[in-house]
Order: sequence, then structure tokens, then C-alpha cells
Amino acid sequence: MLKLIKRIIVALLLAGVIIGESRTSRSEESSDFFERKIRPVLVEHCFECHATDSEVVQGGLRLDDPALMRRGGDSGIAVLPGQPEKSLLLAAMRYEDIEMPPAGPLDQQIIADFETWIAQGAHDPRDQIASTSSAKEQINWSEARNAWAFQTPQRHQPPPVSDRHWASNDIDRFIQAKLEQSGLTPNPTADRSTYIFRLTFDLTGLPPSPETAQAFLRDPHPQAKQRLADQLLSSPQHAERWTRMWLDVARYAEDQAHKVGNNGSLTYPNAYRYRDWVIDALTKDMPYDEFIRQQLAADLLYPDNSDAHLALGFLGLGPKYYRRNSPEVMADEWEDRVDTVCRGLLGLTVACARCHDHKYDPIPTADYYALAGVFASTTMFNRPLPDAATGNDGQAKKPEDAVHIVRDGKATNLNVMIRGDVNKLGKSAPRRFLTILSPAPRPLETKSGRGDLANAIVDQSNPLTARVIVNRVWREFFGTGLVDTPSNFGTLGSKPTHPQLLDDLAVRFMENDWSLKWLQREIVLSSTYGQSSDVNQKSVAIDPENRLLWRVPRRRMSIEAYRDAVLAVSGQLDQQVGGTSLQPDDPKSQRRTVYSEISRMDLNPMLARFDFPDPNNHSAGRFETTTPLQKLFLLNSPFLVRHSDALAERLAEQGGSHRSRIVHAYWLLYGRPPNDREISLGEAFVQAGDAATWSQYAQTLLISNEMFMVD
Amino acid sequence: MQINSRREMLRRCGAGFGSIGLCSASIASQAIAGSSNQAMIAGDGLHHPARAKRVIFLFMNGAPSHVDTFDPKPALKKHEGESPAEDIAGKNRAAGLMPSPFKFAPHGESGVVMSELFPQLSRHADELCVVRSMHTDVPNHEPGLLLMQSGHQQPTRPSMGSWLSYGLGTENENLPAFVALSPGLPVVGPQLWSSAFLPGQHQGVEVDTNQTEVDQLIANVRHPSMNRQQQQRQLQLLRQLNAEHLAARPGEASLETHIRAMELAFQMQREASEAFDLKQESTQTRASYGDTEFGRSCLLARRLVERGVRVIQVFYVKGNQKQPWDTHTNNNASHEKLCADSDRGTAALLQDLKSRGMLEDTLVIWGGEFGRTPYAQVDKKKNTTKQGRDHHHTGFSMLMAGGGTRGGLTYGATDEFGMHAVENRVHVHDLHATVLHLMGIDHKRLTFRFSGRDYRLTDVHGRVVNDLLA
Repeated sequence: MLKLIKRIIVALLLAGVIIGESRTSRSEESSDFFERKIRPVLVEHCFECHATDSEVVQGGLRLDDPALMRRGGDSGIAVLPGQPEKSLLLAAMRYEDIEMPPAGPLDQQIIADFETWIAQGAHDPRDQIASTSSAKEQINWSEARNAWAFQTPQRHQPPPVSDRHWASNDIDRFIQAKLEQSGLTPNPTADRSTYIFRLTFDLTGLPPSPETAQAFLRDPHPQAKQRLADQLLSSPQHAERWTRMWLDVARYAEDQAHKVGNNGSLTYPNAYRYRDWVIDALTKDMPYDEFIRQQLAADLLYPDNSDAHLALGFLGLGPKYYRRNSPEVMADEWEDRVDTVCRGLLGLTVACARCHDHKYDPIPTADYYALAGVFASTTMFNRPLPDAATGNDGQAKKPEDAVHIVRDGKATNLNVMIRGDVNKLGKSAPRRFLTILSPAPRPLETKSGRGDLANAIVDQSNPLTARVIVNRVWREFFGTGLVDTPSNFGTLGSKPTHPQLLDDLAVRFMENDWSLKWLQREIVLSSTYGQSSDVNQKSVAIDPENRLLWRVPRRRMSIEAYRDAVLAVSGQLDQQVGGTSLQPDDPKSQRRTVYSEISRMDLNPMLARFDFPDPNNHSAGRFETTTPLQKLFLLNSPFLVRHSDALAERLAEQGGSHRSRIVHAYWLLYGRPPNDREISLGEAFVQAGDAATWSQYAQTLLISNEMFMVD
Repeated sequence: MQINSRREMLRRCGAGFGSIGLCSASIASQAIAGSSNQAMIAGDGLHHPARAKRVIFLFMNGAPSHVDTFDPKPALKKHEGESPAEDIAGKNRAAGLMPSPFKFAPHGESGVVMSELFPQLSRHADELCVVRSMHTDVPNHEPGLLLMQSGHQQPTRPSMGSWLSYGLGTENENLPAFVALSPGLPVVGPQLWSSAFLPGQHQGVEVDTNQTEVDQLIANVRHPSMNRQQQQRQLQLLRQLNAEHLAARPGEASLETHIRAMELAFQMQREASEAFDLKQESTQTRASYGDTEFGRSCLLARRLVERGVRVIQVFYVKGNQKQPWDTHTNNNASHEKLCADSDRGTAALLQDLKSRGMLEDTLVIWGGEFGRTPYAQVDKKKNTTKQGRDHHHTGFSMLMAGGGTRGGLTYGATDEFGMHAVENRVHVHDLHATVLHLMGIDHKRLTFRFSGRDYRLTDVHGRVVNDLLA
């Protein structure tokens, strides 16, 4: 309808023009030709994609405006009056390089009409109507910098609270103030057995042993919680558990999504060395800024420290796509690097700016290509292990002889690719850091620029890096981040629920030498973290999503924690730290789940079924789904069957009455004694007393809700 | 099911930051959700009334030759051995134009033309919607497969089946919404049925049809030693323990979700065992499909759609051949063999669906990742007796049947040699848009927010090919 009205208006105006200016009959003829032969074709076959009200104006070409039509789209001049052979519109209609319209070539007669029309000067009566095109909007940088995420985080004085006794540290004062403002009160403190369970799972991904749990319950020391937290933070199991958080960010995998024939060159049998490097770094509590620096540029920053170069697996184990020799495919790979680095470390969706300026955030296409240039100047490097056979290029010949890292290639600046098309180059985009994060232009030009990039990311003045990691860590404890879009702090991301808390923590995190252990300790010793997880109906009515943290949410264990817990309580856990990878659903695999082989091509079905993220992409955070297929695994998998048998045997070794074995099982699995009903249910079930019945009982305990829920 | 907050709703439907508009549908369709409004959504589609409720995609891995199957090109005979107009000299051992040795004839009232390699399928000619003007972006298997299955050449996007599962859910909560049947892995592998950034429950459930025993077809469908009675007893104890646990944690909705999922799993053991058990079919029925990997897959597909599985992807893989239709050598002899097998299974499937009245709302698609060259490819020794055909992406054929497609239609055309689609061209994105349309989904509105933008199966492309609709 709108179109029809427009056409009527055009027709009326046109009539006016013709009468008013008493144009020559020649011009009238041309107009007539356009109206009869050209315009209907444009309307019918082209406007769907090439008009101002098209959903997406394809190829930047608009055919509803004569000036824009002559100028053309991304590919160049569409209509050059008098020169049909130089008019791309005609070439496209003839299905030469471009093929338009996509549904099939138009009639020869129509094409001939267009040729005639262009040859005769492409007279276009629509020229009389003012062009509706507007100049492209420019980013207003000073305004853009006002967004919360781009302002430098500051320390904040915690707001005053009325109840002075609840808070244990500054975190609590920020949380409490918001609760009070909303008429909420925090939940009571969780009981000690809940706390030790929660704390041990959160810090180490494992349940406490019954002995540790009982000792803690009896520990009268006023600093008992601190001592427990410190002990857990210094254990190697702590690093194993937190490594997995990082590997999701790093889209860690040990192969590629495709394989050509039986060629093994896209499998990385030594990828685990990067994973082990992460475990080692977290064990040592490597400062987070250094942790980033080494993963992006250890080769440039520490040329002689070959152990540090293992950190480069962050980039070197990234996706390699099929047909790497073609420019389109390399452009896709650069997108992966830009996306992983920017969403993963900066919480910015810079990859959106590959084809057009970012629609919501201040990220022009030129910024995307300025970063992509760093990765275009970097190449994958199969660094040979000692004594390995190498080729001319210094790379290992066989994947099992290599660690897959990166090294500098030829330093290159990319050109902007218009609409992401590798064949349509725009202006050069010299390597430099994101404009929005650089008060003054910050070139990334030392060699590939990776070292400069790493330093720019972890620069204390960068407003995002510390906030993003603090938020990720927070999310691990509370299920939701202070910003609940952990990899998008831009306009379309969520705003922080507690901006001052996030900022204060981010600043203190940097002041405490970017220590992840400091941050975790600060969180777990807060009263906020120490609350019970009970549902309080009054609070639910005010804050159903618990965004203000009136309770600690009851959480389901990740597949890693669940599998590890099963191994631990059945007495089968092998605590070896580091080493080659395993299949987690193999009943004979007894090491922790973090050591699972992660495949981009064929992700282990147990992991895939339990919400493990697709390692082809950076993961902002896992989904949580509950499906019957997961339960089938619990009911019938060889893994559960075997470990149920092992648990039953462990209980049998304990000896004693049915009752005492049941009590032992509850301590072992749930860190608490069973109640009377649980005892009588158990006794009734195992009455027959044979091994099979005990296995069935053991399995029931292993797959019950209590086993994988953390209060 | 009570949902008391937006967050809870998002979590239930697994959409994370996805569009709210979809959530009501996703929730209703989730395996764990209540079944109250399920049928409504399944029947009505998401955006408009659905013509098809389910899809079976019979995928011919390696790419069948269009000029030997559904796109006759007499000109190839006339110009046999001549170089095609394009400059292909020296490319991949390309040789001259190669006519098809197979006879073509019109069938049915509609006169759909197909080659003699499809004697069974030809009896369903009036049901077939033959698209002769397909085209895709790249003549390589990996990107071609990924594009056909997920709309993108890199392995980073959800498959069509996952999108459909996400949009429409399952009709039967005891079975998965999306099943991938493949005897061993095809080229590319599980990425072809990956949910990528969509929640994991939308990933295709992989079934290895090399297996014939139910336990081996679906992982963990049966306990290795407990019988049903014992398991029932175990489940009873589990219910009681979970009830104790829940009673101490009032108001925690997610615990009930787990309890319900466990009950469903227990039902699923029986239902899936039954669904996947081909022995329940008569010998005659099994023979009509053929006792081959593909024949069995087609029969399984029928059993699954009967029970409400939304999307079934059948991959034509055979033994250690991950793409049997990739006939670089011996094109003619291979096509004779492959088509005989494919013809029988496909025709039996159509016949069964028709006789059950299910073809009306079940969409069947047949085709590969691209076509094959109208000119020959010779081996290193230039042995012309074993000529093959190379990959070809600028023009090829695909079939559709049922599910609201127009039967007896031959749509679009390639040029006189079958090189390029020239009339009514249909890109893979257009096919996807059309399939979604038939399923009651506007391809531009089925979106998922990921990595800062709304993704869709057709990205920024695709148009519904209205001419294909009945």
C-alpha cells in the first residue's frame, strides 16, 4: 500500500514537472519508456532487495533512487548513462559475473530494453524527486565513551546499611544496601555442612571427604572458614576445576571439525600441554594480566622461554577451516580469533563489525580489520618437540611430534572488506587497538602486533578486561554474573545489577596483582556467599530471579563436577595431575573430567549430552538443560553401572550392618547422616543383601537429585 | 508447569538470551515440559499454519549426478567428447562432455521425467516435486555438506534439524525431536547434526544404522543387567528419595524438572526400544525397503515419524565409504548400483507414508550436497572406460515430496548441457527458507541471539520458493 501511494505521488509530481517545464517531446518519450519498460521491472524483480524499505539492502545497491542507482552498490557503478557495457546492472541481468535477479535471468527482451534505455542516456524521471538518501551516521565518540562499560572502573565507598552485623566484607555491604533498598533481607547463614560442601565443590569441583567434613563441623576455631578456604585454594584440585572455566572461554579442542581422508594432521595429540599449562598457571596463581599476555604473545615477550610458549595454544589450537588456501576461509579464521579474544577477554562483540559497522556498539568495520590484521600477521606453527623430524619450514612433520602454537608471519595490514567480501576491498585498516578503548590511537605494529595487543588488553586503563574476568568468576559462584551477558558488555548486553560492586572488585582485583585466588577468597568469605539457599516466598515475590542475591542459588553440578564426584565417592578417582587425554564415559577412565579429550569433530557424547559447549566457538557460558537422554545415561550407562558396583563394594568393605553401611554412604555422598525415613527406605531396599541389590542401591544414591545439586 | 520469572522461562526453554517470542513455543515443545499446549503448536506451526509437521531428509552423500537421474540432457550425446564452453582444460583431469547412458522417460499423469535408474520411484512421479535448478556456493564436500545442512560453510552454525527442534520441539516427549541415522560417520561427521550455539537438547541424536540390535542403535537405552521389574523397584526408591530431598527444599522448581525427566527417561526406554526395533515389521515390509543400510534407515525413519519425531536425517553412507555417491571414476556403473538401492528405499518410504495418510504432512527431501559435472573426469592413465564425473555446484537437482509441496512438478532448468541453473534458480538458502515455510516457520523470524547478533538458518539470505508449494 505504501509503495502504491509512493508511486501515485511520483506520478503526480512527474505530471506537474512535465507540464510546468514543458519538456521536449523527446524527454516525454524517455519518461514514457522508463515508466513502461524499466520501472515495472525494477519494482517487480529488484525492489525486494534493493530499495530503501527492503529488509536488508543487498550489496549496498538501491534501485529506487536514481542517484544511488547510478552510483551503484559495493560492486561499483550500476548504471553509466550512454554506456551499457560499463553498467553493472546490465551485466548482472545478463548473468555475467553477478547474477540477478537470483530467481533466474529475465527475458531477453527485457534485457534489451534496459540496454536501449542505458544507451539512450538512462533518462530517469525520478530525478525530479529529491533523493531520500542520507549521509551515513558517524560514531559520536565522546558520547559513545559515556556507556558504563567504557568508563574506567573506580573504587567505591560501600553504601551505608542499617544492619551493621551481617556484612563480613565490602562485597556484602554493596549487596546488603541493594537488598535493603528493595525491602529484602538476606537468608540466614547456611549450616556448616552445607557450607563445606558448597565451598569444596566451588573451589575444587570435588566433594569433601567424610573425614574433612566431620573435622570442619567440629572445628571450633573462629578462623575455621578462612583456613578451609585457604587450604582448598592451594590444592592442585582447585586449579583443575578452574581450568575448565578458562577452556570454555578459549574454545579449547584437540582437533579440527573436519578431516580429509585419513590425514591426521588436523588432530593435536599434544594439545593437552596447553591445558596443562593453564593448570600450572592457575596453580601458581599467575597474575591474570600475565596469564593473558603469555597466551597471546609468549613467543614475542619471552622468546627464550619455550615452556611459556605452550600458552600460545590459546591461538594455535584454534579452528582451522577447510580450504585454508582460499582468502574467504582465512577471513573466517581471523573472525574466530577476533571473536575469541574480544568476547572472551573484553566482553565485546567485535566480530559483528566484520561486514558492517557494529549496529549498536561503537565499533566501526575499520576497527575489526585493524585487529584482524594482527591475526593475519600471525601463522599457525607446529613447533617440533625435541628430536622431532622437521620440514624445511622448521615445523614438525607429524602432529604427534608437535605442539600447536603460533608464530609471526609477514606483518600485514588488511583492507576493510566491504560487507565482509574478500573481493571487495575498501580502505586500508592499519593494525591498531579498538578506537573506543584507545583515548589516543594505539598502533599494534611491533612485528605482528600480538605483543602490543596483549599489552593493550591488560593495560590498567582498559576498562573492560578486569571487569569481564571478575564477572566470569562471580558467575561460577552465583550461577549468574553481576552482568548476566558475560561476553557482551556492549549496548545489547545486560547492565550490571551492582555496578559499584563490580567496579570496586575489578579495581581491587588489579590492585591485588590480578590474583584470581584473591578474588575467589574474597567472594567465598563473604556473608553473601555464606547464605543458605532456601527459597523464601516473601523474597521470591519481590525478586523472583534472585538478582539481588537474597539467597545463594541452589545449583546443579556441571558434568565435570558430577562425574568427578561419582569417581571420588566410589573410591575410583585417580588424582594424577596433568597428562594425556581420556574418554570421560569410558568406565575405565578414572582421572578427572578436565582431562577429557575435546573434539571439535565428534564431541564425546556424554559431554555433548550434558551441556558441554561446542568447542568450535568461544562459549560465553553454558546452557543448562534437563532432558530424558541425560537420565538414560544415569540409568544405564556402563560408566554409572561400573561405579555403582564400585561404590557397593566400597560400602561392603566397610562391613557392619545394613544400617551402618547406609549411614556411611550418606556421609560419603552427601556429607550428612541420613534421616530415619531414608534409613528405613534403604534397609527395605537392600533387604536381600546380595551384591546386585547393593549395586542398585548405590546407583540410586548416585543418580538421585541430591547427588548433583549443590545447596 | 509453573514458571515464575522471565529468567526461569529462559532457562527452561534453554534460549539464554534468545527471543522471548519463541520461548512459549520452546517451552511447550521441550521434552520436559507439560504436554497441555503441545499439540497446538505442533500442528499450527510457529508463525503460520504448517503444511508439514515433520521432515525426512534422505541425503545422498558424495553428490548424485543430475544428468544421470532427473535432468536429461540430449545435447550431451550430440556433443559427446567436445570440450564444454567453459575453460576447464587441465582441471582435475576433466575430459569432454559425457552423455548419460541411461534412458529417460516421462511418468505418471504429470509426466515427470526421470531416468530408468528409478523404476520404483517413477510410480510416485505425481507426488514428486523435482527441482532442476539448484545451485550452491562451492564444489567441495565439506563446505557443501555444511552449507546444505546448516546454511553456512564453516562448522559453527546449528543444523536445520536443530533449528526445527528449537522452533517446534518434539511431538512425542518420549523420543528425541531430531534423529540422525547414519551407518558410521559421513564426511564432516557430527557437525552435520550439531546444535552449535543452540542448547544441546536440539542436537540430533546419532543412531548408527550399521547396528541392527536395539541396544546398539541407541546408547544407554537398556540396563546391561537389570530387568524392567528390578528397574521399576529402583525407580520407586529413587522417587521416594527425591521426594524427601524436595520436601526439605520447598519451592525449588528445578528439582521437579529433574524428577519428571527421570520418569520420561524410564518411559523412553520402552518406547525407543520399540520404535527402533525393525523386527516388529513384517518380512515383506522389510524386503520392500531392502535389507541394506539405506533401506533399513528409511524404514526406521518411517517408524520414527509415525511416533512423532520431528526431523530425521538419513545419511547415505556405506561400510567404510563415507560418501558413496562421489563417483569420480566409474560413474555409470556406480550410479546403477547406488540408484537401485536408493530407489527401492525411497519409493518404499513414500508408499508407506502414502498408505498411512502421512505423506500429506511429512516432507521428504532427496538429494546431495551438489551435482556432478556433465563432462567426464578420467583417471591418471586417461582410461576412458572408467570415466567418472567431478563435483559440480552451479546446477543440480533435488527432489521433494509430500508435506505441502506441489506433486508432479518439474521446476527450474539448467542450460542445454546441464552446466548451470538458468531458469528459476534455487539456492540452498532458498531450499531452507522453503522447508521452514512448509513447517510453519518464517525463516526470517526464527532467530537466536548469539555472539551479539541474531542468527538464523538462512543468515541474511533465502526466499521461499512459492512455486514449489501445493
